[in-house]
Amino acid sequence: MSVTGGCQCGAIRFRADALGEASICHCRMCQKATGGLFGPYAGVDGLVWTRGERKRFQSSNKVWRGFCEACGTPLTWEHVAGLTGVAVGALDDPAAVTFAEQLGSESRLPCVDALAGLPTHAPTEPRAAAHLASIVSLQHPDHDT
Amino acid sequence: MTTSPQDGRTGGCQCGAVRFRVEGEMGRASICHCRMCQKAFGSFFGPYVSMKPEQVTWTRGERKLFASSNLVNRGFCGECGTQLTFEGSGFFDLTIGAFDDPTDIRPTIQIGLEGKLPWVDDLPSLRTQSPEVQAKTAEYQAKVVSHQHPDHDT
Repeated sequence: MSVTGGCQCGAIRFRADALGEASICHCRMCQKATGGLFGPYAGVDGLVWTRGERKRFQSSNKVWRGFCEACGTPLTWEHVAGLTGVAVGALDDPAAVTFAEQLGSESRLPCVDALAGLPTHAPTEPRAAAHLASIVSLQHPDHDT
Repeated sequence: MTTSPQDGRTGGCQCGAVRFRVEGEMGRASICHCRMCQKAFGSFFGPYVSMKPEQVTWTRGERKLFASSNLVNRGFCGECGTQLTFEGSGFFDLTIGAFDDPTDIRPTIQIGLEGKLPWVDDLPSLRTQSPEVQAKTAEYQAKVVSHQHPDHDT
């Protein structure tokens, strides 16, 4: 089953025949590439770019990282030997991905283990609900357009 | 390394084109599971720490901004894509992973649970590499020449 995805603004869109193994990588390169706590990538077969061109930054002699120049969304991890992964959050349906393992444990941030237990406030609380209702999303929808 | 609040904390994007320094105590750190943060990071949630915009000095380069909604601009590096800010009227956040030393920036709340991905809480228990694979990885890492900006000002 093919999968689709793209960046936040929709300037870049892709389709792939199938997803391969997925992992999260705690290495410092993946942290800084995204501004996040780890890099989440899924291997991909038959990747085609259906709209726009990703920009690429060569983060090492081994790897290029693709992203959208217009909104910054990280899109790919591309090894010079040919292996490519897509950023799982850029998929239109990331919930469908199954993860196999975590890598880069030497740089794993101490807060990662505690995230699941963090407190929250419900989106139905009046203040949160009013705020959510006032948002007009300018994000590209989670399907091809 | 500049990590103490007195000296200011530093950070920037992966390629080093955009660098910042923060003076003073920072505010609340959080992760947001909303679909907007997921797509902005290409990830599962947005990890941010809040502060006043006047605490931040851009010491190199200019962030690019994308208006992801009527209320929010998201700053990033146009050269390498690193997400850097979440900003709007009355709020200003920097991304945790962009700091040169993010190890002690601990989120204290999670928000946007309506978008939370079903397996996020299980990620810390994913299997790690076996010692044999780790040894191979170390061998491989020795051949990697990083082009990432180092975790300090240059």
